[in-house]
Amino acid sequence: MSHNSKKLLYSVIGFLVVAGVVFGLYTYAGQEAFIRTTLSGLTLGSLFFLVAAGLTLIFGLMDVLNFAHGSMFMIGAYTGWQFYTNPTFIFGVLPLVLAFATTVMLIPVIKPRLVRLDLSEAWQKRLPILTYIAALLVAVLALVKFDILGLAKTAMVAVTTTSSNPLAELSPQEPLLRFLLRLLLLMLSGAFIAVGLSKPGNRTEVSAPEPLKKRLILPVVLFVLTIIFTLVRESASEGVLLMNGNLRFALAIIAATLFGFLLGALIEITMIRPLYVRSFFIVLMTLGMSFVMRELVQVLWDPLAYQMVRPPLFAQPGRATTIAEWLMNGSSTISIAGVTFPTYRLFVILLGVVMFVFVTLLMNRSRLGMIIRAGVQDPQMVEALGINVKRVFTLVFALGVALASLGGIGAAPFLPVQPMMGDQYQMQGFITVVIGGMGSYVGAFVGAMILGMARAFGDYFALKLQLSPTIAEASTVIIMIIVLILRPQGLFGKKD
Amino acid sequence: MMETTDSNRNLLSVEEIDTYIGQFHILEGVSVDVAKGSITVLLGRNGAGKTTTLKTIMGLTPPRNGRVIFDGQEIQGKQAFKIANFGIGYVPENRAVFRALTVMENLKLAERKKGDLDRHADFIFELFPDLERLSKLKGNHLSGGQQQMLAVARALVPDNKLLLIDEPSEGLAPILIQQMMEAIRKLRETTTILLVEQNFIMASQLAERYVIIDDGKSVHRGLMSDLVQNQDLIHQYLGASIQAPISTSEVQ
Ligand SMILES: Nc1ncnc2c1ncn2[C@@H]1O[C@H](COP(=O)(O)OP(=O)(O)OP(=O)(O)O)[C@@H](O)[C@H]1O
Ligand SMILES: [Mg+2]
Repeated sequence: MSHNSKKLLYSVIGFLVVAGVVFGLYTYAGQEAFIRTTLSGLTLGSLFFLVAAGLTLIFGLMDVLNFAHGSMFMIGAYTGWQFYTNPTFIFGVLPLVLAFATTVMLIPVIKPRLVRLDLSEAWQKRLPILTYIAALLVAVLALVKFDILGLAKTAMVAVTTTSSNPLAELSPQEPLLRFLLRLLLLMLSGAFIAVGLSKPGNRTEVSAPEPLKKRLILPVVLFVLTIIFTLVRESASEGVLLMNGNLRFALAIIAATLFGFLLGALIEITMIRPLYVRSFFIVLMTLGMSFVMRELVQVLWDPLAYQMVRPPLFAQPGRATTIAEWLMNGSSTISIAGVTFPTYRLFVILLGVVMFVFVTLLMNRSRLGMIIRAGVQDPQMVEALGINVKRVFTLVFALGVALASLGGIGAAPFLPVQPMMGDQYQMQGFITVVIGGMGSYVGAFVGAMILGMARAFGDYFALKLQLSPTIAEASTVIIMIIVLILRPQGLFGKKD
Repeated sequence: MMETTDSNRNLLSVEEIDTYIGQFHILEGVSVDVAKGSITVLLGRNGAGKTTTLKTIMGLTPPRNGRVIFDGQEIQGKQAFKIANFGIGYVPENRAVFRALTVMENLKLAERKKGDLDRHADFIFELFPDLERLSKLKGNHLSGGQQQMLAVARALVPDNKLLLIDEPSEGLAPILIQQMMEAIRKLRETTTILLVEQNFIMASQLAERYVIIDDGKSVHRGLMSDLVQNQDLIHQYLGASIQAPISTSEVQ
């Protein structure tokens, strides 16, 4: 009972503090500035939330601090920007990746045979290494003289010359025959990997396999996709560019989110899973990975900053007075209680709120959410109930990266797209998680909004009182320190 | 050792398992047989290795040597979730009910197929009527006894052939111990149970067979009715803390 009344007391105090601060700011700044700054704060808060939600879910369930989260935000922005401005690069590389994945995914098909092979123990160790070397050599051969940089540059051209005809920038892809040879070689390379990963000769890996039909589904689907995307390499780019800009933007968001999801799953399975027993190495590994991703992006698109063109729904000059008017005309600004505000930023706020609702429903209404809430406390017991916890870890990691990636493409139309764009968001994401409480998505949302507001009002005061703009950045750290003193476990953290 | 040859009557045979936790050699050649449709109890002092034996069967601390044969299949070395899906339910000693989940969600989580809970709900709530009343309460609001009931109930949601139950009476008030005993007795009608129980009275009334674990080895096994007569053995391995068994009538 006293526990509950204490909780009530804290809520009342919290509410009074918030109300007091809001009222103080309102009277001090006046309505116009207050609304404008609040909306800016919510915009930032939405982006902070998209980064922090993944961080906090991943940390809560797996105790993993993902220091590559900011880079994944950045990758999302690049993917979406590429898809939106000129998808030549994406469609040029996609069939290669699909071809490789097709044969790697044959593992469940070939494994039951391979583990039954009669191999000496020495060969059981040697054979996978040999296959990996072979895979690498074949893959290098497959990509000889593949002009990946040329493909990447196509979108850079598109940025510098915003011509009226979007197709003017499309460059032709390689001749089909040469490309097919690459695909075949990559499939061979993937097959080598699959053989190595199947642990040939290792009989302890025998387990009752699912029916062959079921095991073949994924490889067959991938193979069909490989063929389709090979045939549409050029026409797909054209098709995308001739699309309605809003639709293209929606597809860019989906592409970036999906890519983030798959990238996250891949990273978890290949690099993080072997390290759960040594969690400190995970920190080093993700940190290293963030550098690799940044360098890779710099090699492909040069260390430049790009400005993604805003989709038509947010691009027409002029100010709408109502939401209906905005949606009809695609106005770039809208008047809210007399304040002019960019419509795209409203969209970002909406994105954050929608994703918060999505995560809330996922956590409370779905079986996956139930598993996550239980797994945070005791993953071993969840596993003892017959649930494949490893797969859940992969899913949650992938989901977290997908959210960061979504944040990236969400930010792309109003932030410069550049290799370091995720760093600041990662930092703010971590601070958000600390303020909100490790593992709590509600905490991530509240924390993100508090930080967003602090940044926005910090900037406002810095400008008004002619202070250094670093005061806005310092404010977030000050808030974190205050929270840590009053509630070390964070606003919504469970005591542990 | 005679029983091991009679493998078609044993639902579970644990054969000479060695389990290490880190570098510590915790189990050294433990063997346990559980006949189909029976209750077998693991006895032994604190720290003897009873919990580790259950965890090893479950795949949570896989054995380095030895075999675990369940329902005719070798299951040692498989991942825990796969072992569970063969039809083994686990009730851990720390009552690991999920605090952030409601009673209903705790039960739902244990489903392996859709509808598992619906099919068994009547049976579960008949055994533990409290749980139905508390179904919307979160795990962290339950009393110790209620948590223990929930932990057992959770193992009854899917169709399990074998239940591993670790100290169900630990920390329970006498009335609740009675209720738990009744529940386990009813479970025996449909499933096979491997029990760990420090409360010798409860153990002796429930189980047909016993295995004594001492210092990581299985040192004795046999019929419970024989052990009850053997005061020396009881004293030697189970310690003076356990009183001589009282006859059934006195307890009830
Ligand atoms: N994680 C661990 N690290 C090191 N030693 C462990 C670990 N877990 C258990 N042990 C040791 O293994 C031995 C057996 O432990 P176990 O929990 O199986 O005993 P138990 O018979 O269940 O005891 P109790 O009656 O207290 O539950 C103990 O000596 C314990 O100290
Ligand atoms: Mg124990």
